[in-house]
Amino acid sequence: MAGADLKTASLSLQSVSRHFGPIRAVDGIDLDIGQDEFFSLLGPSGSGKTTLLRIIAGLERPSAGRVRVAGQDVTELPPYKRRIGMVFQNFLLFPHKTVAENIVFPLRMQNVARAARDERLRWAMKLLRLEGLAARYPNELSGGQQQRVSLARGLIARPAMLLLDEPLANLDRELRAEMEVEIRRYQKELNIPFVYVTHNQEEALTMSDRIAVMRGGVFEQVGPRDDVYRRPKTEFVATFVGQSNRLSGFVETVKNGAVAFAWQGHTLHVPHQGDIAAGDKAQFLIKYEDIEVAGAAGKGRSDHRSGNSLEGRLRDIIFKGQTANYIVSLANGAELIASASSRDHKVGIGEAVSLRWPETSGMCFRS
Amino acid sequence: MKRFPPLLLLAGPGILFILVTLILPLAAIFMFSFWRTESYELYADWNLDNYRTLMREPAYLVFLLRSGLGALATSLICLIYAWPVAYFIARHGGRYRLLLVLLLAAPFFTGVILRIAALQGILGPGGLINMALGILGFQPIAALMYTQTAATIGHVYLFIPFMVTAIYLSLVNFNFDLLETAKVNGAGPLRAFIEVTWPLNWIGTAIGIVLVFIPCLASAVTPRFLGGPRATSFGMSLGQQFGETGTWALGSAMGVVLFLASLAVLALMGLTVNLKRSGFTGMGTR
Amino acid sequence: MTSVGDRAEAWRRRAMSLLLWLLYIFLYAPILYVIYASFSVDIVWPFPPSFTTDAYAELFDNALYADALANSLLIGLGSGAVSTLLATAGVIGVLRYPSRHRGLILIAFLAPLFVAELLIGISSLAFNARLLGLPGNLFSAIAANAVEGTAFAFLIILAQLVRYDWQMDDAAMVFGAAPVRCFWEVTLPTIWPSLLGAFLISFILAFNNLEISFYNLGAIPTLPSVAWGSLRFGLGPELFALAALTNGLVFVLFAVMYVLMRTGIVRFGYRGG
Repeated sequence: MAGADLKTASLSLQSVSRHFGPIRAVDGIDLDIGQDEFFSLLGPSGSGKTTLLRIIAGLERPSAGRVRVAGQDVTELPPYKRRIGMVFQNFLLFPHKTVAENIVFPLRMQNVARAARDERLRWAMKLLRLEGLAARYPNELSGGQQQRVSLARGLIARPAMLLLDEPLANLDRELRAEMEVEIRRYQKELNIPFVYVTHNQEEALTMSDRIAVMRGGVFEQVGPRDDVYRRPKTEFVATFVGQSNRLSGFVETVKNGAVAFAWQGHTLHVPHQGDIAAGDKAQFLIKYEDIEVAGAAGKGRSDHRSGNSLEGRLRDIIFKGQTANYIVSLANGAELIASASSRDHKVGIGEAVSLRWPETSGMCFRS
Repeated sequence: MKRFPPLLLLAGPGILFILVTLILPLAAIFMFSFWRTESYELYADWNLDNYRTLMREPAYLVFLLRSGLGALATSLICLIYAWPVAYFIARHGGRYRLLLVLLLAAPFFTGVILRIAALQGILGPGGLINMALGILGFQPIAALMYTQTAATIGHVYLFIPFMVTAIYLSLVNFNFDLLETAKVNGAGPLRAFIEVTWPLNWIGTAIGIVLVFIPCLASAVTPRFLGGPRATSFGMSLGQQFGETGTWALGSAMGVVLFLASLAVLALMGLTVNLKRSGFTGMGTR
Repeated sequence: MTSVGDRAEAWRRRAMSLLLWLLYIFLYAPILYVIYASFSVDIVWPFPPSFTTDAYAELFDNALYADALANSLLIGLGSGAVSTLLATAGVIGVLRYPSRHRGLILIAFLAPLFVAELLIGISSLAFNARLLGLPGNLFSAIAANAVEGTAFAFLIILAQLVRYDWQMDDAAMVFGAAPVRCFWEVTLPTIWPSLLGAFLISFILAFNNLEISFYNLGAIPTLPSVAWGSLRFGLGPELFALAALTNGLVFVLFAVMYVLMRTGIVRFGYRGG
């Protein structure tokens, strides 16, 4: 699913821009999101992702462009007529209303009859495991519970889509991991599009079907999550998503789409993105886990003739739990980091090691 | 050495001060209200005559009702006018917010008597408005001259800054983002106001109402100037007992009645406040 | 391209700002009238205009007004200082040291707001004169005025300090500042605008108070009591002149404040963009 067809698109943005004076917060965005998609807007703060979300919600008006929801042009509609759900970063629960009153608020605004309201409330409370909390006030809830109430309020009215603005930013790590899985489950169960704004690449990668990486008001790359992770289109995406080593060098030759990359006396064979020619200065970015660490014992076995290989010495191991980062000092003084399972490291600190990766790993960009 | 609790050290002096300068004097007039005055002297023979007088003489009830109705009208006018004004300053005042609020307070630098006299100069028979009407060939507006209406205008003039400030102080602590939440969830501007803004700022509004109502109820100077001969207020009559007529015991009884009336209004407003539903989450609890 | 909602919003905003400006006109018309009348030959029938500065000359000649002004200033400054001091300590106590008596303390400090000035005036007169046997004097007037001032100061400071982050003080203490030092170095520089506001309000209230001062001072003149006293013979134009001068000073202060805000030299607590 690489981009939804226009006819089935639930949300469609056409050259949407938002300018604040000379600042282009959002600059000519085109986007289609399908009915069953979990879509993330990923970017650093100030990249325009929140502004874009607020435009979709109707809280912000675009300076130019159209917003369509389920085929209907809603650009001129105020937020309260758009029938969307939204979950805010600081939850924004109404402090003077109980949990139940907060959750049924959207239904009351639509003048839904009391019986139907109660039924939906039971459904939402069950879905989000909030049973027994109906009469509490928001300030009597834990952060995780407030988050669930906020989600329940966003979902109860069967919205055309749910917008989420960094909803997990204020939760602690454990709770966040749990909620990531939950939120994705709701999306798959309810089968409505979720548009999720975050600056946290892990969250985006965990939950999304597709991700748009945003910077300076434009999309750097839009695509399925493994595309964005494995085949970054720009240097920014490669840096922002995942953890990478960065090697600065220049291009020796370009042949059949493969680059011979000169770096501190070594020649590496790497894939590339975009226009590039021999003699260009370039950056090569490779994710920690794409590099394999082997003991010097394997040195004689040169069956990696087609790949890249560098020799060095293991300086330290940073234990991360399931994985560990191996910091390797090369003879030329540079340091590269490789990530691997923490269970089976056979190399000790201070020993000689070799680093290997295939020619298809990493990505080279002209700088 | 036992450490002195810091709360007592900090709040103690203020509480002691208020006890001595407010509570004890109020207790004193409560006591005097059961005494007797004779030729400007108080005598401690306990009786209920002062309260009997207040109930027997219809004039006092008329004064109280007149003051009460005037205070009610003033509070309502102030409430309706102050809300949009306070909202505008809090929401759109930007960096000039404080200045805009202080501009409401600055007239207080001029004494009440002078301002009321000036208001009379504008509203009264030889005043600006009626003179302008005369020059243009219209009849003067009789309602503005020495009437209850003129007194009410004076009260609104004096006390509306309290109402605006009370609502403003509530609004600057209000999270306007909640309105966005309401809108995304389907509430139009009016509905969002009724559901969210109003209830969450009700405490501030109620304080504003009380701050306008109570001084209005006790007002003496304004009705004397603007109200004309038929506007004698409870406060005017009360002041006379301590001044011209020197009947302190009866005056004390009137003071007690005034205090109880204020307390009743306060209690009434208090009943409308549900702390749980006010969004009040305690103050700086750490 | 603006939607219906935006246009309605813009209209609401314009209507609200119109109401604000109408309110300012209403509030300042009598003030302008006072200034105008202070230059008039006949203060009771000031129209059509005819100007003179006699009132100002008489104001500076007559010792009564100098006396009244001095007394009013004393009462204002004294009451403002007492109010601000007591209220600041009270607010910090209530906010920093949670206690189950917090509600009671709040009620005590705010109670004077709900007692009319007239009642404060007559009750302290009755209490002082009949129970303590004290004649009216400046100190009793300052004290009685400070009752109301303390409550207003408490409310103003509380409204601002509720949002103060006391962890800043914790940080200062961790780095070695004793409580008093910490107050001077960290707390005060942050909260001074609200203390100034509280002082100003309690000053004005006491400076111009008629009902509390009147009953507590007997024959000692203050500006409002002189105004009250001169009512029988018609207001003296000197009072108008004095009020005009006061307002001139206030407007200069506001103009300075506006310039400072405009240029962003002083922000008066405003933190937005």
